[in-house]
Amino acid sequence: MTDRIHTRLWDAMTSLKLTIGCLAALMVLVVACTLAQVELGTLGAVNRYIRSFVVWWQLPGSSWSIAVFPGGALVGLVLAVNLVAAQLRRLELSWKKTGIWIVHAGLILLVAGEFVTGAFQVDSQLTVEEGQTLNFVERPREMELAVVDTTDPAHDDVYAVPEALLARERQVDIPGSPLSLRVKAFHKNADLGARGPADPPSPATAGVGAGVAVRPLAPVTSDEQLNRTAAFVEPVAAGRSYGIWLVSNVLGAPQSFTHEGRTYALAMRPRRQYLPYSITLKKFSHDVYPGTDIPKNFSSLVHLSNPGRGEERDVLIYMNQPLRYDGKAFYQASFGKGDTLSILQVVENPGWLLPYLSCTLVTLGLLLHFSLSLRRGVRREASPQPAAVEA
Amino acid sequence: MRGARFVPWIAGGLALAAAAAGMLPRGKTRGLDLDAFGRLPVLEGGRVKPVDSVARNALLVIRGQQSFRMAGRTILPGEWLLDAMFRPDVADAQPIFFINDPDVLGLIGLRQTSDRYFSFNTLLPHLAEIQRQAESAHAIDARQRTRFQGAIANLFERAYLYYRLRNTVQLGDAPLSREIAARTASDAAERQVALAQLAFFRPLPPAPGEPANAWRTVGEALRAPTAEADPVLQGWARLSAAYASQDAGAFDGAVASVAEFVTAAQPEALRQAGHELVFNRAQPFYAGMVIYVLALLVLFVSWLWKPDLLQPAAFGLLTAGALVHTAGLVSRVVLQGRPPVTNLYSSAVFVGWGAVLLGIVLERVYRRGFATAVAAAAGFASLIVAHHLAGDGDTMEMMRAVLDSNFWLATHVVTITIGYSGTFVAGAIAIAYVLRRHLVRRPDPAATRTLVSMAYGVVCFALLFSFVGTVLGGIWADQSWGRFWGWDPKENGALLIVLWNAIILHARWGGFARERGIMAMAIFGNVITSLSWFGVNMLGVGLHSYGFMDKAFWALSGFIGSQLLLIPFCFLPPRFWRARAAAEDGAAPAGVSGT
Repeated sequence: MTDRIHTRLWDAMTSLKLTIGCLAALMVLVVACTLAQVELGTLGAVNRYIRSFVVWWQLPGSSWSIAVFPGGALVGLVLAVNLVAAQLRRLELSWKKTGIWIVHAGLILLVAGEFVTGAFQVDSQLTVEEGQTLNFVERPREMELAVVDTTDPAHDDVYAVPEALLARERQVDIPGSPLSLRVKAFHKNADLGARGPADPPSPATAGVGAGVAVRPLAPVTSDEQLNRTAAFVEPVAAGRSYGIWLVSNVLGAPQSFTHEGRTYALAMRPRRQYLPYSITLKKFSHDVYPGTDIPKNFSSLVHLSNPGRGEERDVLIYMNQPLRYDGKAFYQASFGKGDTLSILQVVENPGWLLPYLSCTLVTLGLLLHFSLSLRRGVRREASPQPAAVEA
Repeated sequence: MRGARFVPWIAGGLALAAAAAGMLPRGKTRGLDLDAFGRLPVLEGGRVKPVDSVARNALLVIRGQQSFRMAGRTILPGEWLLDAMFRPDVADAQPIFFINDPDVLGLIGLRQTSDRYFSFNTLLPHLAEIQRQAESAHAIDARQRTRFQGAIANLFERAYLYYRLRNTVQLGDAPLSREIAARTASDAAERQVALAQLAFFRPLPPAPGEPANAWRTVGEALRAPTAEADPVLQGWARLSAAYASQDAGAFDGAVASVAEFVTAAQPEALRQAGHELVFNRAQPFYAGMVIYVLALLVLFVSWLWKPDLLQPAAFGLLTAGALVHTAGLVSRVVLQGRPPVTNLYSSAVFVGWGAVLLGIVLERVYRRGFATAVAAAAGFASLIVAHHLAGDGDTMEMMRAVLDSNFWLATHVVTITIGYSGTFVAGAIAIAYVLRRHLVRRPDPAATRTLVSMAYGVVCFALLFSFVGTVLGGIWADQSWGRFWGWDPKENGALLIVLWNAIILHARWGGFARERGIMAMAIFGNVITSLSWFGVNMLGVGLHSYGFMDKAFWALSGFIGSQLLLIPFCFLPPRFWRARAAAEDGAAPAGVSGT
């Protein structure tokens, strides 16, 4: 009995019908993801349809969601399993099938590469003005609460609490400092406005927060919008509370308090990653073709300084010509402030080589397979054929 | 038949000769050498081109055609431009503005009649209102505009383009010679600023020591302290005066002097502009389109009459069409200094070219005439599409910074476009199969087998090229944007083509779809390819939105509708086929292949 089930399961897992079903499901997901981009933005649509195991549909007017379709991750996984299983079971090892073997090996790598990218790729930005030197990159979609010890004017000590910890709304100890933070409330996205007489009293008891009304909003994912993240936190040290503060990335003014002679500033800001080197923007250029406003070129001339390795050099980053350094790639992405500000996209993807490998394999495999079948086909065509009845 | 061997050569040769005749210059118009005028190089849209290209593209944008008839005579773009610049009273009365929107017509106090072309004089009293309406329409995102808002914004843009052309060399009321003489008068500075700002093209080559692309407007040249001594400026002034008085001798002399002094400043410009002028005159893609139609017609006739003679003739015509098409493509590559596909227009030209070449190869392999039909139809259809995509003006526009990479344009874009060609050819073969099934009386298993085997081979070809093209696109994206795959609409479109071709092949290998199923799937491939080629551009999101277009929405919907309509015909059971019905009647002996 169990044998029968095993056989049937094995049959289903290796069947060509499953392959076609997965490919068709993938087409449906790709179409849905493309159309959804108009509303959700690329990131939102990809997370919903491609990088998910199940596509959920929220029943209108309720908080209930039902699973309506397998997500891209699930389909990709099934496809990969199906590929491997079918390969092991059905395809014999013969020269005739070499091409197919290579193609399928390449495809498995491709699916694996997309999983690695989904799991490990880190996207950040370097937003730098002419003349400015920065030694960190930021992730604009992810916030952190920075507690900065500004006592020493020559240098700051930064303790950063990532968004994920704040979202738990519990007490967070700041390692290396006497402080703890009690997170009273956290909103990934919120509308901040001046508090009117009709608004409920603010939970904040210190800083600018007392005069601000915070209305939580649904987080946004579209490419143009950014979340305005807000949190109410209460710094505590040596059993003493320093009041409840409102922190948000849209509050401009720094807020600080003093504990035992040391001054700490609180700031919600895009999550930073500090680099062991620094980058100075020397010049940003934006050329157009004469007599038109068609951009001809964007480029950033930067100075790269890495005292650790004794590197001091100028690099020109322009379209199709990124700077690859220390596992990161810096691309010219955008610009602003009357062409004096340059925004570089910074990408770190440990799996970046996988697609290259897999594509080479698939291309070679397809070429091999089709030329082998073409040769067979031409031979068949050349040999006389018996008359067949029209189907 | 003894002479039959030469038939394709004769047919093809005649077609080539007719196409080549288009390259010859036209005679003089009213004694004026307009050909020499059209050759003068100017800078517009970021590149140096003959003034003929400026005139053609502007007239195409304004009127939708590159020439028009008036008072029993065809007015060519060069003459129209000269009138607009130097005899505005004549040009203002010419019916060049195409207006079809009833609300726009109503706004300027007109009703919709069979006459859809109006003169600038007709618009003149309503210009302020048109501008006001257009400005409120411009505030709205192009995708969200109503039909009226789109039409009024478009009319204003065209009227403004005409106005700019009129004021490029001289401000309407004052000849250039007077402008030069009075260039230090009290109101001169203001007029020079107006000339510099309104100029649609830059007729004056860069001053010595300036970069090669720093061509100048008339307004800028007038501001230079040595304006009186500027020979090109003086030449244009004489040209203006001679044309206004219709003095043919003086006009030709002025044109020759401008050409001479431009060549002295920019030795290459005149030669290059001359090449482009010949290209403009030859209209290779138009000629190719006509030849493809001829090939198709000859082939249709061949199925009824003298197949031994006419089928080779059709193939000869197809080859001639392909040669003309290739010549046009190569000229564009040389003129632009870019790989063949740089925008949607050129992608249509290239898709057709790839399809025709594929068809010629298939015809050489199978020799049954089907591939000729498929190739001629595909070539014709894609050139028609290209023709309609050319309405935005210059089809050799400059490349945006992000696309400025000849290496990737030559590899990724060309490969993926060949993939489109392959999918369309497979779809066209499938359509041929359906039509044969329902129209041809004689059952012919060998012919059916040929079509099926062709379709299979082409799907394999399409899968290979669309996969490689998609992957190369990924590599380009990784090089320039930092990610191999970003699920951008255009990338998704390419992926859909790959997936669909893979499904077709797996369905065939698994035996889930046989002859009719494969053919139906191949037709659906047309739908997928057209969506990923044009449809995703209509979404207006993503990094590939530089190819944005929304005008072709109905054309695209119509095409998709027609393909979806054909698919059920694949699946109609045999009793609906003419071949089967005829065979049962015993009307035709089975097994005779006469196609």
